[in-house]
Amino acid sequence: MTTLTSPTSTTPRWRTALRRATDRRYMPVAGSVLTLVLMLVVGEMRYGGSSGFLTPRLVSNLLVDNSYLLVLAIGMTFVIITGGIDLSVGAVVALTGLVIATLLPMGLPLPVVLLVAVLIGSAMGLIIGVMVQVFDIQPFIASLGVMFLARGLANVVSVNSLAITDEGFASLAAWNVTFGEKANQFRLNAAMLVALVLLIVGFYLLHYTRFGRTVYGVGVGDAGNAIDLMGLRAGRTVLWVYVISGTCAGIAGILFALYTKSGYNLTGIGMELDAIAAVVIGGTILTGGGGYILGTAVGVMVYGLIQVLISREGLGEAWWTKIFIGAVLLVFVIVQRFLTARRR
Amino acid sequence: MSQATSPVVEMTGITIEFPGVKALDGVDFRLFPGEVHALMGENGAGKSTLIKVLTGVYQAGAGRIVVDGVERTFSGTDEAQEAGISTVYQEVNLVGNLSVAENVMLGHEPRTGPFISWRAMRRAAREYLARLHVDVDPGAELSSLSVAVQQLCAIARATVVDAKVLILDEPTSSLQKNEVDELFAVVRELKERGVAILFVSHFLDQVYEISDRMTVLRNGRLVGEYLTPELPRLELVSKMIGRAEGELGSIEARAHRVAESAHDGTPRVRAVGLGKHGRVEPFDLELFPGQIVGLVGLLGSGRTEAARLIYGADRPDSGELELDGKRVRLPHPNAALRHDVAFSSEDRKREGIIGDLTVRENIALAVQTVRGVWRRVPKKEIDEIVDRFMEALNIHPRNPAMLLKNLSGGNQQKVLLARWLATSPKVLVLDEPTRGIDVGAKAEVQRLVIELADRGMSVLFISSEFEEVLRVSERVRIVRDRVVADELVNGPELTSQVLVERIAQTPEKGAVA
Amino acid sequence: MTAPTELARRVVHHKLFWPVVALLVLLLAAGVRSPGFLSVTVQDGHLFGQVIDIMRGAATPLLLALGMALVIATGGIDLSVGAVMAISLAVSLQFLDNSATADQPSTAVVAVLLGVAVALVLGAFNGFMVTVLGIQPFIATMILMVAGRGIAMLITKGQITTTTSPPFKTIGSGFFLGLPMPVIIAAVAFVVVVIVVRRTALGMLLESIGINREAARLAGVRSRNVTWFAYAASGLLAGLAGIVYGAPTMAADANNIGLMKEMDAILCVVLGGTSLMGGKFYLGGTVVGALILTTIERVVIIFHIPSQTTPLFKAIVIIAVCIAQSPVLLRRLDLRRLRRASRRRAELASQEVPA
Repeated sequence: MTTLTSPTSTTPRWRTALRRATDRRYMPVAGSVLTLVLMLVVGEMRYGGSSGFLTPRLVSNLLVDNSYLLVLAIGMTFVIITGGIDLSVGAVVALTGLVIATLLPMGLPLPVVLLVAVLIGSAMGLIIGVMVQVFDIQPFIASLGVMFLARGLANVVSVNSLAITDEGFASLAAWNVTFGEKANQFRLNAAMLVALVLLIVGFYLLHYTRFGRTVYGVGVGDAGNAIDLMGLRAGRTVLWVYVISGTCAGIAGILFALYTKSGYNLTGIGMELDAIAAVVIGGTILTGGGGYILGTAVGVMVYGLIQVLISREGLGEAWWTKIFIGAVLLVFVIVQRFLTARRR
Repeated sequence: MSQATSPVVEMTGITIEFPGVKALDGVDFRLFPGEVHALMGENGAGKSTLIKVLTGVYQAGAGRIVVDGVERTFSGTDEAQEAGISTVYQEVNLVGNLSVAENVMLGHEPRTGPFISWRAMRRAAREYLARLHVDVDPGAELSSLSVAVQQLCAIARATVVDAKVLILDEPTSSLQKNEVDELFAVVRELKERGVAILFVSHFLDQVYEISDRMTVLRNGRLVGEYLTPELPRLELVSKMIGRAEGELGSIEARAHRVAESAHDGTPRVRAVGLGKHGRVEPFDLELFPGQIVGLVGLLGSGRTEAARLIYGADRPDSGELELDGKRVRLPHPNAALRHDVAFSSEDRKREGIIGDLTVRENIALAVQTVRGVWRRVPKKEIDEIVDRFMEALNIHPRNPAMLLKNLSGGNQQKVLLARWLATSPKVLVLDEPTRGIDVGAKAEVQRLVIELADRGMSVLFISSEFEEVLRVSERVRIVRDRVVADELVNGPELTSQVLVERIAQTPEKGAVA
Repeated sequence: MTAPTELARRVVHHKLFWPVVALLVLLLAAGVRSPGFLSVTVQDGHLFGQVIDIMRGAATPLLLALGMALVIATGGIDLSVGAVMAISLAVSLQFLDNSATADQPSTAVVAVLLGVAVALVLGAFNGFMVTVLGIQPFIATMILMVAGRGIAMLITKGQITTTTSPPFKTIGSGFFLGLPMPVIIAAVAFVVVVIVVRRTALGMLLESIGINREAARLAGVRSRNVTWFAYAASGLLAGLAGIVYGAPTMAADANNIGLMKEMDAILCVVLGGTSLMGGKFYLGGTVVGALILTTIERVVIIFHIPSQTTPLFKAIVIIAVCIAQSPVLLRRLDLRRLRRASRRRAELASQEVPA
């Protein structure tokens, strides 16, 4: 009997490696890594100077400035891989920030306050999940409703910017460890640490558990039929990804509060779009079914680097960032479109 | 064959009802270890439903399922799998964006602690695949492989659960000949190992090649269980379509509509080598003005696919189409309508009615699209068209403002006919125009078709009811296993019996004209 | 059934019944709470009053929602309208700012046309992405949503462009026939859209695409062209909305103009009885939706509820409407109705048997 097709174990190892490297699944991520490298090269060439552009300090600053975005993007990655979307995260960030700013002066212990903040995020995610899974409402609309809900609740809590003066919170925000000196200085702070831990947790959850693989299966776009026929639970998975995203939004709210040391009802407007953009730039397919957590991390770095480059270029104005991000998004979406079209 | 052993699956009196239809009505089915058992029937006969009851997708309203001597009720696919029943569904029901290894192993993935052990998973998957003589990289993305290999991956997945029963639902529908051979080799091996295999296919050749036993279903009822060598093809086909052989011959002299004269001149429609890969083999077809040509074949044989190519509903990947002697390209249905070709789909619900629009709008739709978006058909003209056709086709209730979804199936069908006739087409392609409508309405539609042809319209008439085809058509084309084959001239000697024989014929024998 | 009850039944079952009732309840509640709310005064031949203000406020969301309704009918969505508003206003004002003859009506007309033309191009771009490239509407329009605001800021160089052009200002704060200019513009736009959509076959074809795309295709509907038109129209109307919105202040604040307005527009459409799944759309309902939205914002003030809580009311409305429209809920209700009907039939049958 002749054997069927395709590279076999008898083919040389390098060919298997080559085929893996050019695998369609990795193409979007390869694109984002390439973009990142390209930007670093451009940065090095233009602003390298004596100390160089790519320094531990740059990396550290990127992570510090974008840790909350990374956390949001991790949650969003789960949702987008299932083919959904979560528009509520920006509003949830504002809500949790204000809740922290309001509860701490009441004398509640810091850990309790932080836990409440995270749980508020989870609850918001749960509402979306129930609407999507039980009532079969489009994720876009369901999360839009919760966005207004969270924003409205935030407005009820306060319409003023509340400074967070709690000592414990301040020391948590200030805590950091530094390695090296000057340009080579790498500063590690609490927010960064949280984001990195979540990155690892997200990575294992998505790539090394049955739940994570089900997330991908749901994203093929047959309403989870194939996954259900394989004997896995699609419905439950859809519910959970929104809870994950909401929880991440709660945590991101804490990180953002640590970053700004305040809570304000108007923070986070459009932050959901930043998160979605970072995820897409990180190579996750917006129609669902494909993407990588580490790709998302790259996407967040690209996102942060765009801002750095634009400010170094002297185009300090915010509009260039938006236009540039829009353009990058456009290119990525079109490339994705052709990759997925070829699949069919 | 292991006649002596007891059946591994025994289903008795399975009944399941969906809103409005009894999908299965008291069906019995048994499956022995080490046999290939073909489940036969036309589309809608209840094959898929029976399979889904056995695999726990549906819960039967009544009846018993005994697996390995134990009575079971499956409330989910996972429970059926635990009982050793594995399924490879019609469409490869795997997850294309995951790797081969995951598709084979997921649900039974080897783990270290809470985490999937990828290395062990790939190794295990490679082993299961190797047993089926498939050598692919388990890390490859499933959708990057050919459909045949994906199909084998699905079977490999089925073997992971240590299946006692393997259900193959139309596994060959998208395979090439040599790939089918590979698949059958695997099936035979599994059979040797004592696995009971339930096989469903539209291809009679394949059924006769691989199966030991058959169960025939029709309209949700059991027709009977037979040993394959003891059931000739012809008999099988007549059992599937529901007429005893004798009965077929005794159907009374129908008013055959025979050509008055031989058609000459340019045909209205001429297809040369028109075909689409995986749907229908390239075919030739001629249709003259005033002529009705019938297409007969089992459901799923490729007759609908052929019709869709003529209308431009699907794009052909080979061949040419001529209308009135001029070569045309029909990139989309609108172009066909502008060339005075109309097509009524067999799938009324999905491809016909626009349920939330009114009867009036549904009738006017095609006339309107021919005229373009901006030139709205005047109200008076629409009223006239709507009145005329509601009257002529006797559409009930006679209220053009009703939403189409609220009409009965038969009246919906008539509204659709009105939609196409309103465009005054020169070529009308009718796919199952009388399905699901009552006898009176059927006769009306048949009369109408003949009348239209008498006035010069060319009609391509597709139906599962052979008498109907014979009553209206001048010539009949047989479609068999995706090939549009023999052309027969209608006449007193052409009976349903003959059509059944032709459909059941093995292609190797060729046309015995 | 007698004629009056038949009429009542038809009124109650009309798509607009509940939206109109909601609007009336809101207005009445405000009227009771704050006498004078419903009164309209005439000054210098112009109408003034809370109700007039509501109409003025509803003009912008209505302009956006008219285009959005067409897009939603095809089963799509247009997230970029807020950004398009900002761009068109920025273009118009920048043009006026650079013009030496900003106080000439002709210059103002050119400024308006320029702004609207740019908006039309942006709408066509969205349509291109959706129909030709086949990108999901949500994503396709999100790109312009992100980049559009940047483009608007680029045009205004990040400044809040302020300029003076009395004729241009009239668009936002003038009166015509005693009514505020925005109300007139919105009314004209409404009539034009209704004529374009309902006097041609466009409306029917849009709906057929949204209801059953494949059946529509087989019936010869060229969904690509029709869908493209919907996005272009949405862009154009958004451009007009931007100009109407920004004209009273003559300030192009690219950062804030039209922010979150896409959500308001979607809300208006949904409140007007159009399903987000696409299909049948109701332009009249959309007007009611826009009025409800604006009235909620006013009523919140009348009742001394902090105005910042309006998102909360919007959230409640969206969630309630969605769950009410949810196919799952409808299916359950249908099932219950079916069961009730069959029970009734069974009862009837059992009554008939002895007789």
